[in-house]
Amino acid sequence: MADNSLFLVMITGQVESADFPLYDDLYCRVSVVYGADWLLVSGLEEGTSQITKKTKDEKQKFVWNFPIEVTLKSTNPHGWPRLVLAVYGLDAFGRDVVRGYGSVLFPLVPGSHKLQMSMFVPESTSLLQKFTSWLLGTRPEFVDPKFVTQSDGREVTRVRSQGSVSISCNIMTKDIATAGYVVSSTVKT
Amino acid sequence: MAEVHIIGNLDGGEGFSSPNLSCKWCFETGGAWRLLEGVKDGQTQVDHPIDEGRAHWAHPIDLHYAIKGIQGWPKVSLQVFSEDIYGRTQLVGYGFVHLPTSPGFHEIECPTWQLAGTALDQVQSYFVGNGPQLINDDVIASGSDRYRLQTIASGTVYLSLYIVTRNFNKFGIES
Repeated sequence: MADNSLFLVMITGQVESADFPLYDDLYCRVSVVYGADWLLVSGLEEGTSQITKKTKDEKQKFVWNFPIEVTLKSTNPHGWPRLVLAVYGLDAFGRDVVRGYGSVLFPLVPGSHKLQMSMFVPESTSLLQKFTSWLLGTRPEFVDPKFVTQSDGREVTRVRSQGSVSISCNIMTKDIATAGYVVSSTVKT
Repeated sequence: MAEVHIIGNLDGGEGFSSPNLSCKWCFETGGAWRLLEGVKDGQTQVDHPIDEGRAHWAHPIDLHYAIKGIQGWPKVSLQVFSEDIYGRTQLVGYGFVHLPTSPGFHEIECPTWQLAGTALDQVQSYFVGNGPQLINDDVIASGSDRYRLQTIASGTVYLSLYIVTRNFNKFGIES
């Protein structure tokens, strides 16, 4: 049983576009986060997009069209891959300022999926920090963007949710049914 | 032994008295369920949505259970807190929901309620906040002591979860 419980997951897709009405000149850092039992077989787990301006029509959409192509293997769905995005913009002095963090779980069901990721930025928790960050123009940031895929320590964070990102992805799995797993009520083995 | 995975997100909440919300969550199971990996309780971030609409928590859930019997299928109990401009938190909703038993993707909406208390309690909580709270949180997900309570409807909590089962057909379980 232990030998044939290995399965493969192939994820292809793209970070299509974003909706951040208040900002311009945005780029994003993309990373794929997975559990301890998972191993990257091919593809890149991290990337940085180009800096884009929003469209000039009333939609005001940011288009990144940034590719995601990873293949992973595991023996255990625990720690199923998640996509983490950190969106940065430039402030008036040309410094990088974070505009949103977000994470989304890649679907477990094979097929073509459209995902919507709502984004949020951490906020200062005290008035003094609020004042100094206003004075120096630095926003609070997470030390590691992958923090948003963790459950521990979230209760001490204050965030402001703003904007969203659209992601399209295709999921293919191999040998997940022979490993004994049922991931969908429609696909019977 | 059969196994069950619960993977997904505690997405957010909407329709509460204030949009600045956080949520305390806990998965409860029967005795035949053993948690192999994952965290079964926690608390989300406090969101102050810029559009004053839905609070987004995007809180990851990833649980792996080994089970000897299907009795005590997991349920999640929720407590929603709101934060006011002074940073004080107060309880604005209790709720629980059974997890779906069929494998696949499920978008779950959990309706919530809060305690009404006496007329004096209501006047007091109108001016100083902080309404009555349950002393024993077990009442949230059980039906035994509910008849004593006076409650008011509150907002909705949204979860999106994938249920994955393993070796269920080997033991003849149909889900």
